[in-house]
Amino acid sequence: MSPAQAPSATSALQAALAAEDAAIYGYGVAGAHMAGTGHAVTEQYWTEHRQARDTLTAMITALHATPVAPSAFYDLPFAVGNTATARALAAHLEDGVTAAYLGVVAAGDQRLRVFGALAAQSAAVRAAYWRGSTEAFPGLPALSLSHRPVRPFANVTFGWM
Amino acid sequence: MFAGPDPLGSAPPLAHDTVVLEAAIAAEQRLIALYKSVLAGSRTQRGGDGTVLSSLLAQHQRHLAELKSRLVIPPGVSAPASGSPTSGPSASGPSASGPSASGPSPGAGGASPITQLRVAERASAATLVRQLATVEPALAQLFASIAASDATHVTALASVGG
Repeated sequence: MSPAQAPSATSALQAALAAEDAAIYGYGVAGAHMAGTGHAVTEQYWTEHRQARDTLTAMITALHATPVAPSAFYDLPFAVGNTATARALAAHLEDGVTAAYLGVVAAGDQRLRVFGALAAQSAAVRAAYWRGSTEAFPGLPALSLSHRPVRPFANVTFGWM
Repeated sequence: MFAGPDPLGSAPPLAHDTVVLEAAIAAEQRLIALYKSVLAGSRTQRGGDGTVLSSLLAQHQRHLAELKSRLVIPPGVSAPASGSPTSGPSASGPSASGPSASGPSPGAGGASPITQLRVAERASAATLVRQLATVEPALAQLFASIAASDATHVTALASVGG
């Protein structure tokens, strides 16, 4: 993402809030198919998402914007009818949250970048728990991993004086 | 009168992102070396532990490949030598400082190899988060994603016998 394409901090935070809202809803669906440790972890992660939602709401309000409201209903990416699909849904939701916080990293000032990066870490760890495996680039679409070199030299000014 | 770089002069200074990127590459190379050292150990070379470690190592090698793909080494400027902790102009700079730049070396201290890996992974994630605050957005996102991957490795290593 080039600087010109980078979203504003407010819109990136709104996207993260929307992802947290979707996760809160989705964990409610997934939790119905979890038992034992899985159910306890679902509740713990659901609570973490609610806390993150409250944090984002406060941050967006502090920027004099109105936090996006959660949807009344979310389309699930696939049918959830057992523990395996419930875990897959939870991993899918966490992937979305991770990607949303990477958006905050691209949009924010230094403090906001660190906030987004740490939140992305938490979501990636939760996704790895549900998936049972780790990933090399959590939250980044494969297409973004193309060759995108940085400028090798410091800015040099050319011009006629 | 033309104002600009002297074409016959020395190369202009490296951009900040390039310096930070070189430090990240060097740190990733050290992490890979640590994994290879642990994998070479007899206790974890066999069985499921070795499989987990090999998987994590493969992900670090993907990190390294992606980081290197972002780096353009201009003619006349030396690239960081592979696996060298002190190579490159950034190794002694402020952006190279931090836990991952001076993280545990293979076999160092009394900690178990798996503990050393966990410490190194945690340090790598923390260093990348510090570094991403000052680089351009796309590189910051890559650093954040790699840091997130490192954080998941810390958890994955908890399941590996040390």
